[in-house]
Amino acid sequence: MALASSVAPAQEAEPIKIGFATALSGWLAAYDQEPHQAAILKIEEINKAGGLLGRKIEYQVTDTKTDLTLTANVAASLIDWGANMLVVPPDFDYGAPAAFMAQNANLIAISTGASDPKMGVQGVGSNVFSAHSAGQAAGIVMAEYAHDKMNAKTAFMLEDVSLEAHKSSCAGFVAGWENKGGELVGRDSFRMEDTSIAAQITRIKGLASEPDIIFLCSGLPQGASAVRQVRAAGIDTPILAEAGMSGDYWLGGVPNLKDFYVPTLMSISDDPRPEVNKFIEAYKARWGALPTTEFSILGYCTIEQWAAAVEQAQSVETEVVLAVMNQFEDQPTTCGPTSYSDQIHIQVSRPQLIARVENGSFRSVEIFRNQFVPDLKLLLRSSN
Amino acid sequence: MTHFIQVLIDAVAIGSLYALVALAIGLVFGVMRLINFAQGDYITIGAYSLVVPSAAATPALMFGALPWPAMILCVILTVVVLALVTERLAFRPLRNSDLTSLLISSFAVSYFLQSLILMVHGGRPKTVSIGDALSRAVEIFGVRLPGVQLLTMVVALTLLIVLVLFLKKTPIGIQLRAAAEDFQMARLLGVPANRVIAIAFAISGILGGTISLLVIIQTGTLDIRMGLMPTIFAFFATVIGGMGSLPGAVVGGYIMGILSVLLQAYLPAELRPFRDAGVFSIVILILLVRPQGIFAKTAKERV
Repeated sequence: MALASSVAPAQEAEPIKIGFATALSGWLAAYDQEPHQAAILKIEEINKAGGLLGRKIEYQVTDTKTDLTLTANVAASLIDWGANMLVVPPDFDYGAPAAFMAQNANLIAISTGASDPKMGVQGVGSNVFSAHSAGQAAGIVMAEYAHDKMNAKTAFMLEDVSLEAHKSSCAGFVAGWENKGGELVGRDSFRMEDTSIAAQITRIKGLASEPDIIFLCSGLPQGASAVRQVRAAGIDTPILAEAGMSGDYWLGGVPNLKDFYVPTLMSISDDPRPEVNKFIEAYKARWGALPTTEFSILGYCTIEQWAAAVEQAQSVETEVVLAVMNQFEDQPTTCGPTSYSDQIHIQVSRPQLIARVENGSFRSVEIFRNQFVPDLKLLLRSSN
Repeated sequence: MTHFIQVLIDAVAIGSLYALVALAIGLVFGVMRLINFAQGDYITIGAYSLVVPSAAATPALMFGALPWPAMILCVILTVVVLALVTERLAFRPLRNSDLTSLLISSFAVSYFLQSLILMVHGGRPKTVSIGDALSRAVEIFGVRLPGVQLLTMVVALTLLIVLVLFLKKTPIGIQLRAAAEDFQMARLLGVPANRVIAIAFAISGILGGTISLLVIIQTGTLDIRMGLMPTIFAFFATVIGGMGSLPGAVVGGYIMGILSVLLQAYLPAELRPFRDAGVFSIVILILLVRPQGIFAKTAKERV
């Protein structure tokens, strides 16, 4: 042993360690597994290319089992193992326990896909980031897209109030829509458990004139159920939704769906960006199948952005890497330009891919970037 | 006026659904004094039987691929068998123990079934489209009647009539009512307990399978929690209707449906997210006025 360590300089021999507190089982696994696999892909690519700062990246993954208490324990054991940073689950509620542990151990934690800005300075701590866009940004993007590209003047908003993430998208939509001078002719809410939204549909039907668009902030499966019921009632108004409704797998539930738009991270079948297609090919080669959700790419960018910061900082020390990440301004990543500040640790104006349903699947329309940028007040919805 | 009629139709349609679930819960409660919380999971499993069990995000159709009479039969049969198996394995052995054990057992069955679906089908919600012809609406005098609402109302009414005839006219139906009235006395008079209870569960299975299909035609989505809310609403429906009273359960179901739709329709926008708080406040008020429920003759020790 003594001989071996004297041969190679200690700095080179010592690997960089990334700890994954990942939901590999339980309901969150459906959203955490693929970003995790994409992250491993990126680590392997870095290692193949000679490592980070000339050091190999080693990783350890532990299943959080979608259990809040276990998530904190998992993070603690990864910290004990000597992790230099933690990748935590893509959800504020289920990611925060692990992120808190990292914060307290003075490590950087990046959630692959939390869309709640609380996964950051104000909610958990200054070392915590989300690789995803804020829910508000999805609403703003769709408001501006409807106004600029679809020439829409009036909108009805259907808000799923069962999750904060959806309420954030709707808050973003209202702000973005008002900023563009659009008219909100009505709004209604529903909950995840509602078997029927007949009363809400009656309200849309009862409007003096049909709105130009309907904005729907909801996720799956309840969003699919809402769309099915809206279309079954003979309402053919274009529907703009949030990122939670992207992915082809639910479209079978609403046959012949048309005029339905989402802002999304990437398209698995026809993304206009070559770097994204390169990622998808590499993912398929590594894992034997195409990714099923577009959230997968966030895992790849999580490692990509941290590695870029480490490269620039020439160190894995938290303070130095953190200083670099806080300065990121349109830092190129496979997910698109990435920016952070010392206050905002989530994306607020990253260009999003607008996708539209055609013949039973989402097709890319164009990349669209919002001009209106949400402030902290809107991000934390502190006025509500 | 047209708007009000529209709201009323929305209300009656969802009320019909709650009434069916309430009837299933009420029937089992009647013969066994068991509030079967697994009823919601019967609905869920019936719905999931439409697709091939797999973790795939877009699963192939199983019963959903059959011609509709066979599909209805298979889904209902699945739920009936499930209801009978849970009765035999989880409830019958506990029949003589105290009522709390039965209730806990029904929670255990419920969690077990949910975990089973999670294991077999994976955690991601799925969609399935059946009865697309029914997912269109017809307009009559400006009032919109979606096919599935119409179907729900017709099916609920038909099942209610069939069930009433069954309970009033057939020997086994009469035994069932006798058992619901006074289980010990009925047994002393020679009513076979096992059979009567099994039949109550089988009927709750038939109702469960029917509800699965009605919900799926409407929502097109499969989710492990899909049966939960209708069951909770139905449970309250049986309470306000009067525990153990079947007409009470049905009326309770309609009251719950009508309350939730009226509040959704007429509350101001800021209060609408708290609609269910309103629904359950009114339920509490009803119970304060009539603690035994609307239809129970007297407050017996059964609650």
